[in-house]
Amino acid sequence: MKRPRPLIPVLLLVASLTAAVAGAAPDKEQATDDRGVLLAIAQAPAKARESKNPYEGDPDAVLAGKKLYLQHCAECHGKNGSGMRDAVNLRSPQVQNATAGELVWFLRNGNLRHGMPSWSGLPEERRWQIVTYLKSLR
Amino acid sequence: MEEPGSLEIELNTNYGTQKAGNDFIAPWVELEYGATGWWTTEFYLDSQATLNDSTLFTGFRWENRFRPLMREHWINPVLYVEYEHISGADKTLREVVGFDNQFDFSEPNSALRKEHNHEIETKLILSSDYKGWNISENFIGEKNLGHQPWEFGYAWGVSRPLRLAATSERCNFCTENFVVGAEMYGGLGTAARLTLSGTSHYFAPLVAWELPNGVSFTVSPGFGLNDNSHRLLLRWGVSYEISGFGRKVRSLFR
Repeated sequence: MKRPRPLIPVLLLVASLTAAVAGAAPDKEQATDDRGVLLAIAQAPAKARESKNPYEGDPDAVLAGKKLYLQHCAECHGKNGSGMRDAVNLRSPQVQNATAGELVWFLRNGNLRHGMPSWSGLPEERRWQIVTYLKSLR
Repeated sequence: MEEPGSLEIELNTNYGTQKAGNDFIAPWVELEYGATGWWTTEFYLDSQATLNDSTLFTGFRWENRFRPLMREHWINPVLYVEYEHISGADKTLREVVGFDNQFDFSEPNSALRKEHNHEIETKLILSSDYKGWNISENFIGEKNLGHQPWEFGYAWGVSRPLRLAATSERCNFCTENFVVGAEMYGGLGTAARLTLSGTSHYFAPLVAWELPNGVSFTVSPGFGLNDNSHRLLLRWGVSYEISGFGRKVRSLFR
């Protein structure tokens, strides 16, 4: 059998990886609603917006959420949540004015076109714990 | 999907028993990069060693996964396209398609390596998350570019962390770091003959241990379900995730 040439796929791979590394920077999306909440978060459906945080007021959940935050979020948003480069400041009113339900909905869905991944792979309980920690940053 | 800008380096191994021949061990390296929130690209280097035979590099694969929907739904599709440039001696068995069966590997490596496969593999991956369970179904179509018919296969699996909520302390051995599950995979024949007859199938429980520092270990013994299957395919692997890899590389050029 004639041996196929690997050159073309290798070149495609190198070009693709180069483009991926160069193009991975997220865009800024700063538009807000009338509460001053980022539109990307505020577009959560009403049912999600009104969801009650099962860990509200639970100090252990704040600590667990901080642990998860440092593991999954701090690389982009900074160790203290104040944002780095294109990742938003999680202490800002644009985030803190959102309800816990909106934030947990946003964590699940992400904003894939603008660099925020979906965290649907994390169990819902852990997403609530992260939101509990984020709300403690206010 | 890999997080944008993160690079995961994985070393996996497949140990297989061989009824009519020698058992084998097939390690492969994976480099998985999150290009965007909706696109993950991955490069593989495959090898194998067959007992009482030889050790050899068997080829490379390049895979891309795309999320067509930007929001979460009950079922979340991912489109998967992979180019494979591997020899007939490749025994990584990352998927089973067509009429793949254990007798494919009964010849010595010197004969198997003469066959060069130039293939495109496509998958439709449907994934759902429900109360901590991840349920995934894969429909696989593979085309050898050397005028061979489409071959089909399937895989489905379920998995769940042992504990859904995190504890407040950083720990390595707590139950939240362990994921258990099971998967089943096998061939579905070809475009000319779509069938379960003459195909091989496996059932594989799996355990993953995900450490907070980005290192993960997985082990999954796959048990052959019929005479066409290897009796045992034992997969294990270790991976390490480098968060912010893309940003670190970009900073080198500024």
